[in-house]
Amino acid sequence: MLVLRNVNSFYGRSQALHDLNFDAPEGQIVAILGRNGVGKTTLLRTIIGLTDRTEGRIDLSGVEIGSMPTFARARAGIAYVPQGRMIIPDFSIRENILMGGFAASGQRRIPEIVAELFPYLMENLERPGGVLSGGQQQQLAIARALACDPKILLMDEPTEGIQPNIVHQIEDCIIRLNTELGLTILLVEQNVDFAKRAASTFAMIENGTTVSAGKIEDLTDEIVSRHMAI
Amino acid sequence: MFEVLFIGLSLTSVLLLIALGLSITYGAMGVINMAHGELVMIGAYTAVLAGIHLGFNIFLSLPLAFVVAALVGLLIERVVIRRLYGRIIDTLLATWGVAIILQQLIRLEFGLTFFGISIEGLGPGLQNMRVPTFMMEPFDLMGLSIQPYRTFILCVTILLTALTWYLVYRTAIGVQVRAIMRNPQMAAACGIDVRRVSALTFAYGSGLAGVAGVLLAGFRTVMPDMGATVVVDGFLVVVVGGVGSLLGTILSSALLGQINGIVSVFSNDIIARAVVFGVVIAIILWRPRGLFSFKSR
Repeated sequence: MLVLRNVNSFYGRSQALHDLNFDAPEGQIVAILGRNGVGKTTLLRTIIGLTDRTEGRIDLSGVEIGSMPTFARARAGIAYVPQGRMIIPDFSIRENILMGGFAASGQRRIPEIVAELFPYLMENLERPGGVLSGGQQQQLAIARALACDPKILLMDEPTEGIQPNIVHQIEDCIIRLNTELGLTILLVEQNVDFAKRAASTFAMIENGTTVSAGKIEDLTDEIVSRHMAI
Repeated sequence: MFEVLFIGLSLTSVLLLIALGLSITYGAMGVINMAHGELVMIGAYTAVLAGIHLGFNIFLSLPLAFVVAALVGLLIERVVIRRLYGRIIDTLLATWGVAIILQQLIRLEFGLTFFGISIEGLGPGLQNMRVPTFMMEPFDLMGLSIQPYRTFILCVTILLTALTWYLVYRTAIGVQVRAIMRNPQMAAACGIDVRRVSALTFAYGSGLAGVAGVLLAGFRTVMPDMGATVVVDGFLVVVVGGVGSLLGTILSSALLGQINGIVSVFSNDIIARAVVFGVVIAIILWRPRGLFSFKSR
């Protein structure tokens, strides 16, 4: 579904991804693993088009999207749940969710799955997003991404900095989005246990390139220890 | 005293229209548009020229000036600003250059003076816009002397401020503008065409400046560098109100306009201006992001 070939990505003159190859099969969760600062977030930002410059080829469902501006990639079906959530604090919950609707092909609306997954958000649609807890803001960021009517969801450490009892809800929600909606998900994650529970395949990133990839069953402790231990 | 406050209010109104455009463009695009005053000037000249050559009165000149200034703004955005997004000092210098070019174009009558051609209403001299007589004759209302033209300025400003509020807070394009103001990258990742919306926003802000120019031309002499002074006041309003805040811009223009009006009555214009600057400095020391800047968790 999503194919990256020989991708280089840059912030100014600094190269963050080096000749990276990557495949995300349709309907699967792909765990993107690696130490801090190896290029996992940059990989997601490169796919959505938020780095300064990109070389190489990025295909989504057979269509080359690497030369498209960010908004066109979003409209092509890529939704992004960034690290730190980046909801708009003084927008209401409704406005935050509907922001995603600008990427959807039809009318802007709150998808039914949002009501099912996040009833609290639906009951408080007029409250400002900024008053929500970290976990609720993460739910809001996911709801906004779902309003994009995506083919593929890019999630950057969705459980980072969230209180433990909410972490499980977020994890379950991610798995449901994949199993019930069939959404393809690229999941940047530091929690290997969750990655193993949720993902079908993995890609280990180091120094801005893929050093190991395969089925999640092939993710051995040795690979984790070699590429993720500090 | 009422007359003083009323005159202050009409000046405040023009200032508000200028500042609204600046606030929206700076908030949405991070561009300090030094040519904003020249868009005010273009609005004023549009009214003068339309009056002379097309026989337009002020009512017809207002929408025409909006369209002309908006188109010039769009051209500036497309040709200059679009290439300089994210480079705030560069945009400041480039738009300053654009301001000088626009002033000179009016002075040189678009270069036609080199061919011995002169257009009435342009050139380095002073121009005046004709205001209908009935708008200049004061009338009494409950013992108070009301100037119709100043009332008209107030009405136009209220109308355009309400329209701007509606566009920004009640329409899909407004949601996009506000999203870009807060987080342009996330806005783009949500499918918002940031460049297109920014260009439209810039054109709208420029159009407001054009309307302010027409209103200003009713009581001030029209000349090529008339925008240079008003744009400073516009920036003061934006800084005090908080960048991108509509409410802040409205309240701050009222505050600064009235301080200027009242102090100038009891002393003179120079002291009034000094007091305004003193108040602005005090406010930005107290609240560096302005009185109504965005709050986040």
